[in-house]
Amino acid sequence: MKPEELGTKEINTWCPGCPNFSILQAVKEALSNLANQGKLNIENVAMVTGIGCHAKIYDYLNLKGFYGIHGRTLPIAFGVKLGNPGLTVIGFGGDGDTYAEGMEHFIHNCRYNADLTMLVHNNQVFSLTTGQFTPTTEKGFKDGSSPLGLAEKPINPLVLAIEAGASFVARGFALDVPHLGELITQAVMHKGFSFIDILQPCIVYHKYSLPYFNKNVYKLENHDVTDFASALTRAREWDYSYEKDVKIPVGIFYKKERPVFESQWPQLKGAWSTIQRKINWQNVTKEFK
Amino acid sequence: MEKTILIGGAAGLGSAVTSHLIGKILCSLGYYVFDYRDYPSLIKGGNNFNVLRIADQPVYSHKQKYDIILALDQGTINLHKKDLKKGGLIFGNKETGPIVQKLQGPQILANDVLIGMFFKHFGVGLKIILAAVEKEFGSKSDLIKKAVEEGYQLVETKEKLKKGQLVKYFISGNEGISIGSIAAGMDLHLAYPMTPASPVLTFLAKRQLENNILVFQPENEIAVVNMALGASFTGAKVMVGTSGGGFALMTEAISLSGMADLPLVIYLAQRTGPSTGVPTHTAQGDLKFALNAGHGEFAKIVVAPGDAKEAIIRTQEAFYLSCKYRTPAIVLGDKHLGESNYTFDELEKSKLAAVSSPVNRASSYEHNALGHTVEDIASVIKGHERRIKKIALVEKEFLKFNPVSVYGPPAGEAGKGSNLIISYGSTKGAIIDALSSLKGFRFLQISYLKPFPKEAVRREIKKSRKVILIENSATGALADVIAEQTGIIIKNKILKYDGRPFISDDIIKNIKKVDED
Ligand SMILES: Cc1ncc(C[n+]2csc(CCOP(=O)(O)OP(=O)(O)O)c2C)c(N)n1
Ligand code: SF4
Repeated sequence: MKPEELGTKEINTWCPGCPNFSILQAVKEALSNLANQGKLNIENVAMVTGIGCHAKIYDYLNLKGFYGIHGRTLPIAFGVKLGNPGLTVIGFGGDGDTYAEGMEHFIHNCRYNADLTMLVHNNQVFSLTTGQFTPTTEKGFKDGSSPLGLAEKPINPLVLAIEAGASFVARGFALDVPHLGELITQAVMHKGFSFIDILQPCIVYHKYSLPYFNKNVYKLENHDVTDFASALTRAREWDYSYEKDVKIPVGIFYKKERPVFESQWPQLKGAWSTIQRKINWQNVTKEFK
Repeated sequence: MEKTILIGGAAGLGSAVTSHLIGKILCSLGYYVFDYRDYPSLIKGGNNFNVLRIADQPVYSHKQKYDIILALDQGTINLHKKDLKKGGLIFGNKETGPIVQKLQGPQILANDVLIGMFFKHFGVGLKIILAAVEKEFGSKSDLIKKAVEEGYQLVETKEKLKKGQLVKYFISGNEGISIGSIAAGMDLHLAYPMTPASPVLTFLAKRQLENNILVFQPENEIAVVNMALGASFTGAKVMVGTSGGGFALMTEAISLSGMADLPLVIYLAQRTGPSTGVPTHTAQGDLKFALNAGHGEFAKIVVAPGDAKEAIIRTQEAFYLSCKYRTPAIVLGDKHLGESNYTFDELEKSKLAAVSSPVNRASSYEHNALGHTVEDIASVIKGHERRIKKIALVEKEFLKFNPVSVYGPPAGEAGKGSNLIISYGSTKGAIIDALSSLKGFRFLQISYLKPFPKEAVRREIKKSRKVILIENSATGALADVIAEQTGIIIKNKILKYDGRPFISDDIIKNIKKVDED
């Protein structure tokens, strides 16, 4: 299959030039490649999105899908997996979505390690609500809701994910489609919770990101992805600030398989919807007699 | 024959387990038992007590005057002695202490001494009790049995309980909800612990493998309900359980269920609010919240069982309607229903089968038939009309499920008939038990609050002289709902908002007051 076959006829309403187009392209390439290699059945892929610019991808991908609510991509995706562990589940979230409204789910899904993939379109702003700050916005940022300048330092989602137990942690750059496509391929194939923080410079509300990334992004090399301490060190190289030029590594920071959530439940074998139940009422009620 | 027993002690001393065991033994002898549980929100200390009302006729509520007090500590005696009937008995530390010491066992053995004394007093054979103890406690029952025997030797048989006919079922409302969900074919139960709904979580969790269901406790109620909808998307049948605060956190996703056409069953066990309120006590203060939870306009089902047996069938109906119309259904209970034990001759399930199926697309946005996002005028109207049509369909079908029940003598002539008590949910027990003492009164139990059975309610009210609302709340919200749905204003309300359930004596006294007005 060709990547285009994963598209839809819906009118795309992202701003012309928005790096979300590149993420869409990388996803299509990764999934069609996997399908062509027989590693994935497209019919079995389910996407879950939050709410925000990123989430519009729901309308542009011809996959099973659940257009969720703001911040709840992960619990919905987790529920899809609980309901049918045979599905390949991919979540799309924004940085507001995942690290503000839905932070608790992010931390806990790193712990649960269900076999699903979470792609965060990190543009360091709430774009769809016109550019307010998020937990990954840099200190000093000024906007309608923070006219005095943001006082807090941004969080580092990679460090959080590694510490919280995610078994696959990566960073991608939206505008390097081949590299991002490769990361997505690996994340989807990884057995366990795989997370990619994707640098997605919003060209309307966070304009200086794009030139900064073009100048400073580099690919992680000579890094042992199973080395926890080194993963943390590399993840800390850039702290999501723009004060001075700092090199920003992209690639896989940490990858180490461990038992997935699903494997711990003997009753979780396949889609519940395929089970024919016959209730033995006598058995159910006998303990009350 | 009728006896009321109080069993009490500081938290952790065992009054709940003991009263359950006594109740169960009495049910196996053919008696009807109602077991009321009262406990503060603490783990050790305080005073927990259970009231067991035992009779050879069906009973659905407890009383507040006791024939016997079984005391696990002095505090129980100090607190409840004033409610002991004239000539009533107290068995306590004085009797149990020396035996516990003699057996060199843990303090908890006092329970078993009391069990022995209690049954000897009523002339129930020792063998029956020891067999029940063994069944309950299994391999660790040796010392317990010894304590029971010692207690048994301690007193004389003063009254003789004759054996009833049928062995009865002894079941709580929460257990009714639980097995109702199993009967409905539920696949997943998700919940974050919150009194008084958590017994459903633990009951189902313990039995998940034998019933081939999955029970999981996620990070919070928002995760609970969104996970439920994710699973519902794949065709799994899911129930979540919670109380007021947790339900509040779920409301955004209730609306998502309505918009995305995803079945969702919610067990909402009310407790005394607002906010954290009085966590381990009962109330019916969340009726309007349940009816109105979730922004936007969409079909919703709210059904309120009146006892543990109804809890089974009503939970099945909630699954059936939610799955058929792909919209949220709330089973509205409370602490009193959930944590009280009822006795029945039979436990029935309904034949209804809940059927769900996986879908390819689900969206929180207004969407077209392909699931794609739409904003144009025609599509927005179409979306609303599709959802409003569901409301009409549910309103038609729910009439099949006895949305109201009327108890007591028929009304007779329009406008001149008997008086009418109206209520919903857990107040049923005390009202039914009061009814035989209330000449000229019928009881209208409303089991469906949404859709609302307005024709039936209006008809019953029109046939009646005086109409009295009974509700375990401070405002009597059901009267407002009736006014909204039927245009009829109910002025007489008997309300109780002390965190404790009604007992039939309260109802009789208060009704007589209203009746004299
Ligand atoms: C519960 C809730 N709160 C607020 C909103 C409003 N809202 C819509 S999109 C959005 C921010 C989106 O930001 P982000 O997740 O970073 O996505 P982006 O638009 O930047 O892709 C917010 C706050 C909402 N839809 N739901
Ligand atoms: S506002 Fe920013 S994130 Fe949203 S579509 Fe436009 S460029 Fe992309």
